[in-house]
This record gives sequence, C-alpha cells and structure tokens, in this order.
Amino acid sequence: MNKQTTLLLLSFLALLNMTAPASGASGEKTGNPKQQAGMPHDLTIFFSNGVRGETEPCG
Amino acid sequence: MGGLPKKAQQLETVRGKTSAVLALDSGALLFKDEKLPPDQREQLTVTAQGIVAAYNKMSFAAVGVARQDLAAGLPFLLAVQKKSSFPWLSANLLSRTEHKPWFKPHTLITAGGMRIAVIGLTAQGSDSLFTEKDNTIIAPWEEVLPKAITQLRGRADMTILLSSFPAAINRKIAEAHPEIHLILQSGTSQGNLPPERVNNTLITQVEAQGKSVGVLEVHWNAQNKRWEEPGSENLLADKKNEMDRLGWQINRYRRQGEAEQAFKNQPEVLEAYNDMLARQKLLEEEIVRLTAKQKAMNAGRQRFSSYSSQFEAMRKELPDNPTVRAIVDATTNEVNRIGKAAVKARISGITGQNQEEPSGNYAGSTACTSCHAPQFAKWRGTQHATAYDTLEAKGQQFNVQCLPCHITGPATQTGREMLALAHDLRQVSCESCHGPGRAHTIQPTAAKAAQPTMDTCLRCHTGEHDDSFNFAEALSRLRCGTD
Repeated sequence: MNKQTTLLLLSFLALLNMTAPASGASGEKTGNPKQQAGMPHDLTIFFSNGVRGETEPCG
Repeated sequence: MGGLPKKAQQLETVRGKTSAVLALDSGALLFKDEKLPPDQREQLTVTAQGIVAAYNKMSFAAVGVARQDLAAGLPFLLAVQKKSSFPWLSANLLSRTEHKPWFKPHTLITAGGMRIAVIGLTAQGSDSLFTEKDNTIIAPWEEVLPKAITQLRGRADMTILLSSFPAAINRKIAEAHPEIHLILQSGTSQGNLPPERVNNTLITQVEAQGKSVGVLEVHWNAQNKRWEEPGSENLLADKKNEMDRLGWQINRYRRQGEAEQAFKNQPEVLEAYNDMLARQKLLEEEIVRLTAKQKAMNAGRQRFSSYSSQFEAMRKELPDNPTVRAIVDATTNEVNRIGKAAVKARISGITGQNQEEPSGNYAGSTACTSCHAPQFAKWRGTQHATAYDTLEAKGQQFNVQCLPCHITGPATQTGREMLALAHDLRQVSCESCHGPGRAHTIQPTAAKAAQPTMDTCLRCHTGEHDDSFNFAEALSRLRCGTD
C-alpha cells in the first residue's frame, strides 16, 4: 500500500468517525440525508446541564 | 446522581412520542466543583463513572466538557472518554505545546433528516485549572471558533454549540457567529433560562445539576436557516411552565391540610399561599388568551424556522427508568463500600479503636440534655433527630457526599472526619443550629450558645435540596425555647 493510499484510507476513517449518527437519535442511516427543497424538518432536542446532586439518593 | 433514573425515563418518554430526538448535555456532568477534596476523590470518581454508564445507556449524542468535568484531572477525563459511547466535545481545551485539542472539537450527527453540527467550548474561568506539568491550556473562544465553523461550512444544516462560558460571553459568540443556531449553556444559574434570541442564535439553559431537563421542539427550514420572530407560542410555553411549578408548590401547601386552619398561626405563610392562588387564576386567564392568539397566528409561517421550549423539573414523584435506577443503585452501593472500608481501616489503624467521644469544639447532644431536657425532648420529635437514620435506612451512611447534611459538625469537616464521627454527633442535633457547645458546657453563662440565622439553615436547605424552604415557618415549627 503506497503512502497516498494510506492517507486516503485514514481520511476516510476520520470522516466516518466524524459523521457517526447519534445512537437513539433518529435511527437514520449515516450519510447525506436527502432533503426536499423548502421542506422543514422536525427535531426534538432533549438537553440537560449536569446531574442532580445528593437530594434523592441520600435519605 | 439521584435524578438520573427520572431523566432517563423522561428521555424515553420523549423518544416514544417522536422519532427524531437529539439528547445533548452542555457539561458539568461528572462533578459539582472544580476541585475534589483529596479524601473524597475515590468516592467521587466512582460516582462519575456511574454517571457515564447511565449516559451511555441513555444514548446521549454529545456532551460538552465543562471545567467541573476536569476536577479529577485531565487524565481521568481522557480515561472516562474511552468508556463513553458519546463524544466529549471541546474545541478549546488544547495541549500547550502542540495546540492540538485533547477532545473532539465538534461532531456531525444525522437526526430528523438533517445533518447537525455540535461544537463544544470549555469556559476559561478566572483561575487556571492546570499546572505547567499538565501541558494543557483553555484557549479563548475567539481563537478556535472561527476555525471550527470554517471546517463545518457546507456540511451541516444546523449548528449547535455546547458552551460552559457564562451567558454574557455566549451572547458575544452569538453576535460574532450567526452560523451558530443554538447555544446550550452549562452553568450554575438558579432556574431555567428560556431561549433568548441574539442575532440568529437561540441561547438557553436548564437549571444546573440536572434539576430540570429541557425539551426544545424545532421546526427547521434548512433552506434559509433563520428563526422566525418570537411568537406567542414561546410565551405560552413559559406560562404553562410557570403554571406547572405553581401547581406543584400549591399542592405542597395543601398536603398540610386546609390552609386557613393549617397556617392560622403563620399569617405570612397564609399570605404567600393566597398570593399563589391569585397568581394561578391570572395565569389560567393568560393561557386561554395566548392559546387563542396562537391559533390565529399559525398561518403563513412556513418560510421561517420555529421552536417551542419547555422545562420539566425532576420531581420526586416522576417515574424512574429501571435500567438506569440499577446503575445508580450499584454506584451508590460501591460508594458506600469504599466509605465503609475507610472506616474499617481507621478502626484497625494505629489508634486501635473508633472515635466514641465528640472531639474539638463540639460537645455532642448528650451533654445538652442534662440542662435542656424539654428542648431535647422536642428535638427528638423532629426530622432533624432522624437525619442520620434516613441515611442508614438507604445504606448511604458511608457516602461523604450525603453526610454533611445528616450529621452535626463544622461545614469544613473532611470526609475522613465525617466517617469517624462520634455517635453523639450523628443526626442534625443541637449544635447544628446553636453552634459548637463545648465551651458552653464548661462555662454556661460566659459562653452563650448561638441562635440560628437563615444562613445556618441554608447550609443544607439550599434550593438544590429543599426548594420550598421557608426560614420563618421552619423556625416557628422547630423553635425549642430560650432555656
């Protein structure tokens, strides 16, 4: 395997890693989603900020 | 980590309603503070690993690195990263020598038929977390963000920033980078911050330490990528949230019985209760009005992107997710096993025996009873008198994260001291409110016991632990007399 092929392979692997889909996000396949021009998308963002402290498990 | 099973169940419920759900956390996930007390490190890092296991199970898509996440050191977080099924993101946590990021600066996620870029930023803070030896810096956002945005240009339909910078800096980021459509803040502010629009960026935050979760429903037009002007739906959601909170507070009061009767000797409590009822009536009217207005506005809005947000408090009555509950229980068992082992090691140590008598400035509650028997008897009927017992009942009596609010002693006690506590200082007893009493037992007249102030109570009855605490009400209920 020459140097150019190795570089190409590494770039491909890096790209795969960068575009990994969110597990449990939508179950859709990785890659460029087909978009219909002008069609809006619905998405729910569930977000949190840290983990609750001691309140409930303590006593 | 007590709210985690509830958070997991809420997430599962949201996923059950819609297929395109993106779960994100803006950071401060692993620890509450930026530094760990050395003698609590083992218990706290075990807790942190339990949190990661729970987040793996919940399939979070990305988590930002906040300063608190680095409390156990960069090597610990790098090791945690290897066990995480989600990426930890920080574009500005760099090696000092090579200026390379320690974590992924950003990630691309496919959800809802869109490609979504998520970038992480770690707050710089007022003092450095690192020494020269750590070979790490937190670079200014101005240095790293333009590069990240350039790398992502044309690759994403929507860009989200997980930022632990304070709100004022996030506003500057929004003004400088309209390509960022949403900033999810990590921070310690009390209460939830509904989306604030700056330029074409929404900035929002849920209350710290997982006390609430946020759900942002986005209707995104990837062609023009612009938020519509704020409509009444967000105001409506805010009013509904306020209504929920108010209803919850009112129910807490109602559980104590008929208000006029239950608070007949506490006019200030009764007044507060009646104010809440009046506010509830006003809110009902506003919600009806805003709902009608919203219906009238819903036509002709397809060009722009819209959103609605709501926050859900992690109330005790919410259901637990059994799988995450099991992870939390296993973690707390392990934390207590470590504490118990520390106690055993101390008993078999040089001194050869456990501490049985109070030490330092504290006398212990037994010493108080000889002169203050009626007050002691009254205290025995309060929840303070069983504070430590409740820990034992849950097998949490060796958890140094719990102990400070269930025992008597100075706030500065180390984990080692708390675990070696004299029997007489277990529970929240006389000296928790009146201060250390050894001098008073020796010279009762010269060394008077202190009287509790609001600050005395707020050491434990914080918003985090008791969001309905009322000092006047508590004092009138617990007052033990002047003898």
